[in-house]
Amino acid sequence: MAKHDTPMLDELEKGPWPSFVTDLKRQAETHPECWDILGQLELSYEDKITHWKHGGIVGVFGYGGGIVGRYSDVPGRFPGVEHFHTIRVAQPSGMYYSTENLRALMDLWDKYGSGMTNMHGSTGDMILLGTRTENLEPLFWDLTHDLKQDLGGSGSNLRTPSCCLGESRCEWSCYDTQDICYALTMHYQDEIHRPAFPYKFKFKFSGCANDCVAAIARSDFAVIGTWKDDIQIDQAAVKEYVAGNYSVNGGSHKDGDWGPFSLKKEVIDLCPTQCMWMEGEELKIDNSECNRCMHCINVMPRALRPGKEKGATICMGAKAPILDGAQFATMIIPFIEVSKENEYENIIDVIERIWDWWMEVGKNRERVGETMQRVGLPTFLSIMEVEPIPQHIREPRSNPYVFWKEEEVPGGFERDIVAFRKRHAA
Amino acid sequence: MAMSKEEVEAAIIEKAKKAPKPQLYIKDFYKCAPDMKPRQIKNIANKLVQKGELMFWSSGSTTMYARPDRIKDEEGSEGVN
Ligand code: HEM
Ligand code: HEM
Ligand code: SF4
Ligand code: SF4
Repeated sequence: MAKHDTPMLDELEKGPWPSFVTDLKRQAETHPECWDILGQLELSYEDKITHWKHGGIVGVFGYGGGIVGRYSDVPGRFPGVEHFHTIRVAQPSGMYYSTENLRALMDLWDKYGSGMTNMHGSTGDMILLGTRTENLEPLFWDLTHDLKQDLGGSGSNLRTPSCCLGESRCEWSCYDTQDICYALTMHYQDEIHRPAFPYKFKFKFSGCANDCVAAIARSDFAVIGTWKDDIQIDQAAVKEYVAGNYSVNGGSHKDGDWGPFSLKKEVIDLCPTQCMWMEGEELKIDNSECNRCMHCINVMPRALRPGKEKGATICMGAKAPILDGAQFATMIIPFIEVSKENEYENIIDVIERIWDWWMEVGKNRERVGETMQRVGLPTFLSIMEVEPIPQHIREPRSNPYVFWKEEEVPGGFERDIVAFRKRHAA
Repeated sequence: MAMSKEEVEAAIIEKAKKAPKPQLYIKDFYKCAPDMKPRQIKNIANKLVQKGELMFWSSGSTTMYARPDRIKDEEGSEGVN
């Protein structure tokens, strides 16, 4: 495959930042098909239109996901990208790799593909970019038999679940994110490998509200660690922070010129619910108002810790803009226990309640967050069998209409619509 | 009377043969068995793929179902747009 003239792309090599154009040129020395990526992209810049086609192929034999088919619409000019399929490989929970495993993966991909990767895609998987149809089965064989790794989800499947590194390294994790991520990946193998829904569905697990996997922005079903009881306070450590003896934020901002630490300015005034104050030298928190945002704990990790009664909040319905605009997930279940002992049965119940409803009511290509918006939060809560609480709404009375069901009113009421209409014709 | 699994399979295949467009959404099959839960219908449709009666077809973001003989192969033809 020949080198192409790419004057516009070459511009992207100038400047101090890393350049994918430089990377591709280097890769082309061993994988000449990469010249054709550059050539086709330059042509797209000239024509101001993409030259990638997609559609058709979805997986290897027995799978209905994991491969995203990509084809050039100008294969005559760029034969190296005639087929250029993307492969999703399920990442290990918390993205831990041994160097041995990474080398084996790269050798595999050098053998069967372009050698280009994206570590990791926004779902969480390893993304192997660019191979031909005839390489898919042999690659899958080696991946599963030699490396004991599997493809991830794509299309209308359950997408590869992902989690923060949780208890393996982080003292803030309120549950074992890696364990539930792995357990549900195994429990829902069929949903991951074969299409199951009107559209994609994503789970993500973060151990606390810092939400290192951005579950609240990227997943239909976000499980975010929290606690029920009080933030644990070590008043002696608070004094050390105030005296400047402990490094704030675990030292992560120590290179900046922030001046001396101010507990008032950096913690109390920034508490989103304004539920903290000082009484003499004691830091006080009104835990009934605290929304467990993690801010104060992040600033003073040696003085403040999450409470002891731990579990998770479940938020639902985040999505990127495809049909409608992007949206964050909505808090639906304020607290749920997350326990290995019951094999996450209570969480599986919630997942399947939402699936059963969405598969019935969701329109084609409608994410569950859009279906939720369409029916409205009160209806959605009653489908999920969740009691509404004030925390479900951002502010009071954006909707003035309150409809009571008979069983919700003490003593009930009788309403005879036929008799009513006799008196008041519609 | 609830339909048997075989009757549902036959209804799904019939639908995939006759539908105006070759590619169908999973929801298009729900009407083939009104009494069944969507997840059961999904399982039957996926079984039909294993048997070769249906194939998966990706639009790029959504996975659809089709009769293999109604889909022109992307490779070596002008392809499906
Ligand atoms: C305890 C007694 C009452 C309660 C709890 C009540 C409650 C409400 C509420 C919640 C609304 C909707 C407000 C909104 O759209 O923001 C409303 C609207 C209204 N109420 Fe009442 N109401 C009461 C008595 C009355 C009475 C005695 C009258 C007339 C004599 C009345 C006439 C109206 C009218 C005309 C509206 C419509 C206002 C509009 O469309 O902007 N209400 N009421
Ligand atoms: C000549 C006399 C009147 C005229 C010209 C008049 C006109 C109107 C108009 C133009 C509207 C708005 C309708 C709409 O938004 O579609 C309205 C609404 C309303 N009028 Fe009147 N009106 C008169 C008398 C009355 C009287 C005597 C009452 C009550 C005793 C009344 C109660 C209301 C109420 C409650 C609404 C709000 C309806 C709703 O929000 O659904 N009006 N009127
Ligand atoms: S989300 Fe919370 S628990 Fe998980 S790694 Fe980040 S800070 Fe730690
Ligand atoms: S966790 Fe957030 S809401 Fe709670 S006290 Fe700390 S800063 Fe305030």
